[in-house]
Amino acid sequence: MSAGKSDLLQGTLDLMVLKTLEAMGPQHGYGIARRIEQISQQALSLNQGTIYPALLRLRQRGWIRAEWGTSENGRRARYYSLTRSGKAQIARETENWKRTAETMARFLVTTTGW
Amino acid sequence: MSLFRILLRRVAALFGVRERESDLDEELRNHLEMAAEENRRSGMSEEQARRAAVRSFGGVTQVRENFRMREGVPWLENLSRDLAYALRQMKRSPGFAATVIGTLALGIGAATAMFTVVDHMLLRSLPYRDANRLVLLNERAANDARFLNNETWPDIREWQERSRGFQEISFWSDMMGRNYLEGQSSALEVGGFEVSARLFPLLGVQPMLGRGFAAISADDMAGRNAGNIILSYPVWQVAFAGEKGIIGHVVHINDKAYTVIGVMPRGFSFPADQPRGATVGQVWTAVQLGAADQKRGNGAKYVQAIGRLKPGVRLEAVQAEMNAIQKTIASEYPDPETARYHSVVELRSLSNSLVDADMRKALLALLAASGVLWLIACVNATNLLLARGTARQREIAVRGALGASRWRIVQQMMMESLVLSVGASALGIGLAIGGIRLAESVRPTHLNLDLSAHMNFTILAILCGLTLLSGFVSSAWPALMAARSPIEPALRQGGLQAGKGRQHHRVRGVLVVVEIAMSLTLLVTCGLLLRTIYTLRRVPLGYRTDHIVVANLNVPSFRYSDKDVWQSLYSPLLDRVQHLHGVQAAGLMSQVPLGQTFHIMLTLRMNGGTIAATLKAVSPDIQHIFGFKMLAGRFFNHEDTPTSQAFAVVNPAFVQEYAPNKHDPSSVIGLKVWNLRKNVPMYIVGVEDPIRQASIAEPSQPEMEMCLCQITPQSGAYQPMTVAMDLAVRTARPTKEIVPELRSLLRQASPEMENATITTMDQIVEDSYGSQRLAAHLLETFGGAALLLCVAGLYGLLAYVVTQRTRELGVRIALGAQRGNLVWMVMRQAGGMLAVGVVVGTALALASGRLVRGFLYGVTAHDGWALAGAAMLLLASGLAAAYVPARRAAGVDPMQALRAE
Repeated sequence: MSAGKSDLLQGTLDLMVLKTLEAMGPQHGYGIARRIEQISQQALSLNQGTIYPALLRLRQRGWIRAEWGTSENGRRARYYSLTRSGKAQIARETENWKRTAETMARFLVTTTGW
Repeated sequence: MSLFRILLRRVAALFGVRERESDLDEELRNHLEMAAEENRRSGMSEEQARRAAVRSFGGVTQVRENFRMREGVPWLENLSRDLAYALRQMKRSPGFAATVIGTLALGIGAATAMFTVVDHMLLRSLPYRDANRLVLLNERAANDARFLNNETWPDIREWQERSRGFQEISFWSDMMGRNYLEGQSSALEVGGFEVSARLFPLLGVQPMLGRGFAAISADDMAGRNAGNIILSYPVWQVAFAGEKGIIGHVVHINDKAYTVIGVMPRGFSFPADQPRGATVGQVWTAVQLGAADQKRGNGAKYVQAIGRLKPGVRLEAVQAEMNAIQKTIASEYPDPETARYHSVVELRSLSNSLVDADMRKALLALLAASGVLWLIACVNATNLLLARGTARQREIAVRGALGASRWRIVQQMMMESLVLSVGASALGIGLAIGGIRLAESVRPTHLNLDLSAHMNFTILAILCGLTLLSGFVSSAWPALMAARSPIEPALRQGGLQAGKGRQHHRVRGVLVVVEIAMSLTLLVTCGLLLRTIYTLRRVPLGYRTDHIVVANLNVPSFRYSDKDVWQSLYSPLLDRVQHLHGVQAAGLMSQVPLGQTFHIMLTLRMNGGTIAATLKAVSPDIQHIFGFKMLAGRFFNHEDTPTSQAFAVVNPAFVQEYAPNKHDPSSVIGLKVWNLRKNVPMYIVGVEDPIRQASIAEPSQPEMEMCLCQITPQSGAYQPMTVAMDLAVRTARPTKEIVPELRSLLRQASPEMENATITTMDQIVEDSYGSQRLAAHLLETFGGAALLLCVAGLYGLLAYVVTQRTRELGVRIALGAQRGNLVWMVMRQAGGMLAVGVVVGTALALASGRLVRGFLYGVTAHDGWALAGAAMLLLASGLAAAYVPARRAAGVDPMQALRAE
């Protein structure tokens, strides 16, 4: 259903969401989107809306769960939090990313000599 | 997280999908409000804040679409939506739905019924391991493929030793005569076979209970496995109530004691043919070969050989090998005449041997016919769907304009016709089962045709395949046409037909022509068979068939092995039957003409040459019952007694083949043909008028008849000549009335004979048309259905065209066109399609005539009458169907037609 390129982006966004939830605890969609924007410091042009399909995807995988709650200014909002398998997934994904980044870095170093 | 669980959640979401969407809506709304609030706090105006929030969010619709794609299973949702829509469509136009379903059901039903029969007859799997590698071996004369002979053991041994293509060769033979297994009260008739100890291992089947025959070297010699018997499952069940302790018990067959050593598994039978007559099941004893059987001389036992090919070896290759081997074997026969009958060995695959070639051809031809009917049904359904597609052009254009992709439209249309064809298969399966039941009930009794209607897995798979295929075939074209038609003109033109319509009509015209052509092919074939039956019925039989009751006696011959069966059974029985009220004459004959019950071939020497003839025993009164006429000499009469001079009566075919002067029947009178018994010569005393002997369609074979009363236990052929007997009774009373009385007389004579098959001579003659009649009936049905479909197709198209052209017709009439001209205009169109269809169909019929050629009698496959008759029938019904819309065209009221616009 999805091509290789978006897979990478998908994975990226997934990890960002998971990391955000790990750092901030239960959070609603808007909060997660804002946090990702802040951390990436506008380097990533993200439509906030794309966060919702990602959240659904993560929920379907069982990595996060959602509950309706009340926001700081008294609004009904859906709060997302990490599940146990979500935490394990963060560890796995982090490892993957580190490895990918290292490989990438090595590759860039060796090929600059040409 | 497995893919399966994701799918499960998605499917679960299908059912709660509404609730989820409102959740999402709320979540998105909150998101936007939170963003706007933050923007406001950073100093934007209300309007700016809102707009900025939406901008940074991206497309709300896309998110929701994306969300929905992930949430449910979109194709499944589409499918169920299409399904619901299709069902609504059906409800909206039930007439259309019923027509399509009825049309397809005819095709699917016919094809399913025929396939069920063919599957059962031709493709059934034999209950042996790798049955496709089993081959029957028979010897025959080089110049005569009609008679296949059995072989002697030395030949088989030589094949075993010299052939490379066979893994193993074994053999079996029938036990002589009828076999009765004695139960507590009366005896059960069983099929008895003497088998080589290696036969069951060759078949790859083990007994389910007990053991098989011990197979060691020299295993078939006398004494080995003697007195042992293996029972088939049905015999075990019926005679011994499935008693497990039966192994080791002694049972009696024809008064001989055997020890049961094994029971074969359920479903196993060998030979695999249906058990004939009243037999319960089969039993097997070990063949006992004596010293005489080890030579190729007189008195050696003749057995049927069966071999298993090595894996991957082709039958043709082994046949070539065996041809070479047989050359030397034939030369080892001491007598050159005998050698002649064993000079060629013929290999037949076991599975092919079970259905004779004629029947196989007939079944395949009928299967093809049902396939053609199915095609016609599909074409007709296509035509109907095309018409509907045109009527729905606007609706489809609207859907296209609203953004439905072509693929979605095609999908939708296909779903609609799939729903229709599922309905059609439900109806078709009913038609198929009903049809098979009906065929079963009218099936000729002797025809080896099993029509049991059980639906097995293959049939269901075929049915599903047919359903999908019918849906696909009939909708593919209409769907593509609908999807490809440009949206804009359809929308602009509204319901009216533009230039596109003309091309559309042409397509539909072509389809109607195809239907006509295929229907004609079926009708011609049907006509050929009807002509065949007509011709068969007019063949002079050479005897009377009215008012004759025939009982096929199952004589428990073992009760008479030491008595003279004529004195103790037949003669008293005839006496009593003759005294029944209304009986004019009663007689016995080994087999009545056209009967299919028993056959003895006699090969003997006369005048230095060899004679091969069918041998029959008759009682003198048979002549009066059937009204046989004599060409020369006399028939038997009451002066022929056990002690008088032994005589024989022969038929003209015998004269043709063996008389000194072939043109003078009387030249055989007085010739000595045989020794009735030692030192009692038998002379020919008469020549009968030609009669139809075994089949109406085939010329008679040489035949020799003996007087039943002269066959005593001392005669050479006593056993075979007395074991099977047909009792023929000429009666003045209605034949049905006499049957119960006859049956009770038979029971008195011997309890086993109560189950005799009793029928009438008229019925036997009727049954002898057997396969032709069955095929003709089926083709009548198929042809009739095809005619109906193509007439409906033609009518539908013309009616549609007339409706579409109402305005044009109105203008024509307003401008002064004669109504007769309008009728002519429509009829001309119909005539054109019919003419093209008939021409194409005639070509098809001529080409396919070859398929049924072997089945015809007295007509050629290119019979002018059948062709012309079928064409006339088709033209007449086609024009009649066209006349209705033509009249409507002429009846158009110009004012209304013009106003309608």
